[in-house]
Amino acid sequence: MTLQSQTSDLLPGFDHAAFDSNAVFRVLLDAMSRPGCIYDLPVSIATPDGLNASATATLLAMADMDTTIWLSTSCMTKAANDHLKFHCGCPISDDVAQADFAVARIDDDLSFITRLSMGNAEYPDQSATLILMVDDITNAPAMKLTGPGIKDSHDLAIKNLPASFHTWRAENHHMFPCGVDVIFASLTQISALSRTTRIEVI
Amino acid sequence: MEQTVNYSADGATAYNFAYLDEQTKRMIRRALLKAVAIPGYQVPFAGREMPMPYGWGTGGVQVTAAVIGPNDTLKVIDQGADDTTNAVSIRQFFAKTANVATTEKTAEASIIQTRHRIPEKELREDQVLVYQVPIPEPLRFLEPRETETRKMHALEEYGLMHVKLYEDIARHGHIATTYAYPVMVDDRYVMDPSPTPKFDNPKMNDMAALQLFGAGREKRIYALPPYTKVKSLDFEDHPFEVQTWKDECGMCGARDSYLDEVILDDQGNRMFVCSDTDYCSERQEAGHRGPQHHDQPLGKAAREKAAE
Amino acid sequence: MYVAVKGGERAINNAHRLLAEQRRGDKKVAEIQTDQIEQQLSLSVTRVMAEGSLYDRDLAALAIKQARGDLIEAIFLMRAYRTTLPRFAFSKPIKTADMDISRRISATFKDLPGGQILGPTFDYTHRLLDFTLMANGEEPLDAPCGEHPVDDHMPRVLDDILNDEGLIQDEPVPVDDTAPVADLTREPVKFPAGRDLRLQNLSRGDEGFVLALGYSTQRGYANSHAFVGEIRYGSVSVEIEPEELGFAIDIGDIELTECETVNKFKGSKTKLPQFTRGYGLVFGQNERKAISMALVDRAMRADEMGEQIMGPAQDSEFVMEHSDNVQSTGFVEHIKLPHYVDFQGELELVRRMRTEVEERLAKLDTETARPQPEAAE
Repeated sequence: MTLQSQTSDLLPGFDHAAFDSNAVFRVLLDAMSRPGCIYDLPVSIATPDGLNASATATLLAMADMDTTIWLSTSCMTKAANDHLKFHCGCPISDDVAQADFAVARIDDDLSFITRLSMGNAEYPDQSATLILMVDDITNAPAMKLTGPGIKDSHDLAIKNLPASFHTWRAENHHMFPCGVDVIFASLTQISALSRTTRIEVI
Repeated sequence: MEQTVNYSADGATAYNFAYLDEQTKRMIRRALLKAVAIPGYQVPFAGREMPMPYGWGTGGVQVTAAVIGPNDTLKVIDQGADDTTNAVSIRQFFAKTANVATTEKTAEASIIQTRHRIPEKELREDQVLVYQVPIPEPLRFLEPRETETRKMHALEEYGLMHVKLYEDIARHGHIATTYAYPVMVDDRYVMDPSPTPKFDNPKMNDMAALQLFGAGREKRIYALPPYTKVKSLDFEDHPFEVQTWKDECGMCGARDSYLDEVILDDQGNRMFVCSDTDYCSERQEAGHRGPQHHDQPLGKAAREKAAE
Repeated sequence: MYVAVKGGERAINNAHRLLAEQRRGDKKVAEIQTDQIEQQLSLSVTRVMAEGSLYDRDLAALAIKQARGDLIEAIFLMRAYRTTLPRFAFSKPIKTADMDISRRISATFKDLPGGQILGPTFDYTHRLLDFTLMANGEEPLDAPCGEHPVDDHMPRVLDDILNDEGLIQDEPVPVDDTAPVADLTREPVKFPAGRDLRLQNLSRGDEGFVLALGYSTQRGYANSHAFVGEIRYGSVSVEIEPEELGFAIDIGDIELTECETVNKFKGSKTKLPQFTRGYGLVFGQNERKAISMALVDRAMRADEMGEQIMGPAQDSEFVMEHSDNVQSTGFVEHIKLPHYVDFQGELELVRRMRTEVEERLAKLDTETARPQPEAAE
């Protein structure tokens, strides 16, 4: 096998593995700790077809051979597959129930989300994280968020978030401590919903 | 078989930024994200052997190593003090392996790693407090088996803890727990705040800073996101209360801080000083004086005596 | 006058210099070289490799030198180094049946195919101090070569001999030898733990701890009278199969001691009586550890055998949580770190409780001393 032919089409990963993945992780940690706060993606990064920059950076920072990734049909391009396999060395599964990280676009069919792992009562951490690529994240008052990490309340708006998402999310919140955490990834920004976050759709 | 070991000129091998390899950091980071998403729940993680002994802060060190970046400023305290030997040792470790700025000033730090205290100064949203935790399981001394305690947390079955606290009251008239005093997080998980004195418990509630807890030997990570409800367990007829002192700090005169008792001689003379050394020196710089401060040739105690 | 303690950094640096001086000892005595340790303190070296979970004789010798001969400290140094090493590959299962044997004995059969091979052992030395080792150094000795080479084929007593009759519990070899094996250095341990994790834990567990637990099973704290079916010591080759090659390559040899015990089992209404077994495997020549490990492994199979838990060695959570000497030494010794903040809390509480009791007693005294207006009915 010739490594050369495989790597020639590949895009680079982080410029500096330790510093860039740290910077991305700190944004994710802040975002998960303060649901609804919006953070700028702290690095610029090459993006394979099928993914956007924030989702790519999140996966490069968090995924490796110990995490299974599931990609929605629109994300599952050859470029994305090669990119993740090369830079993260992670298994990519077509069984959504196996996913540690599931990646989809907001205009995909989101019916898969009910099959994501929520962990169990003794190990609620053994749950999936949903990375949802979105077009726009703002502080417009579409959702009013309360719960741990939020002083009083936060407003958050995700463009084109379907009603089915809210139905699922309400059930998900009800299952606490089990549940799926959500990372919204736009081209340049990141925001998160922890499973603890209560959402009031305004 | 031929063995080769690569040594650099100074006898040390080259380590990654902040010592841990990137894969280990990712594993810890994933655990941290779950920890903040499930406040108070202990996330198992594959803790690594660190170049310092278990029980000496390896959990806190691993959490700090996973979180710290080149632009951070690190403060490390043990017993509230920056200059205790283990705090010095951990601070040196990160100064060496991560080449980060360090500080003794609470206000200047972006990450504060602590053993046994929460700083007196209110922490801000842009700060992270990392606790070193010896025994993360608040139910461990009531039930030594992990298989059992995990079930209790799953079922939210905390009767055993309440019985224990109530027995204390029946026997001693008090809840006889002065440190590692259990708390209820966001009305769901009973959590060990690490062996901080219960004096510090109220600071955890609704704190603006992110609080991360690392237990290296027991391989658990847990967290409190900012602005999370943290309530010390108590009973209606025996409400939670913190320690108080009759004395003030001998150096800065503070009456609102946790005081250490210092034995001055073998005649039973003692004084009290702030355990938080940065808080104390900041107050002294601002001109506050306690009775035993060396600026006070006639300290308050002496003045009172003279007035008689 | 009170001055807050400062100078922790200087104190630490000076402590390290003192430590280095003590390590070196009297400078009139030649400095010990790591190759001397590696060759002449070889059992220390293998213990450090076994409990350090890292097979590297040179590094183990260095660790022993640096730790001034404190083996737990040396194990700790190895572990801390090991944790920084990248994982390139997983080996294929080693084949102890193909071991290049240095010693092999069975206690259950007088003779057996392949023979009893006594090999290097302290077993029959009379424990008399050999003062010539101190006085003149020893004569260079060459051990005599056997007249016959040992058999190439050295069948394993339990699998290849006893199992023919079905007298011993079958230990199914996994069909897929590429199936993942748990690794407690890579993932958090969950209880109840599988046998792979239990064995890994014991193999790198503290020799003294495993020995004491093994001993306890012989004294009634578990119902398991054991025979040593076989103990063998020698070297085996380690193979890895790099994905890009598609075939296995030999990357070197390691020395191992393997012990299999045969234990009683009564059988049940539905099962024929059968012997059960325990397994021990450890780096280097360490029969004490390998036998103890096999005893504790068998004891920890209580659940699987439906046996009542009677002793700590059968309690796998207890065993696994306390076997690691790097963990236990750290936590035991950490109580010498300052704890004065917590102690202050306890002081305050004890004083307060004493005052309250004294006040109560004093009140009681005055009440009883006061003349009662009317006697109670």
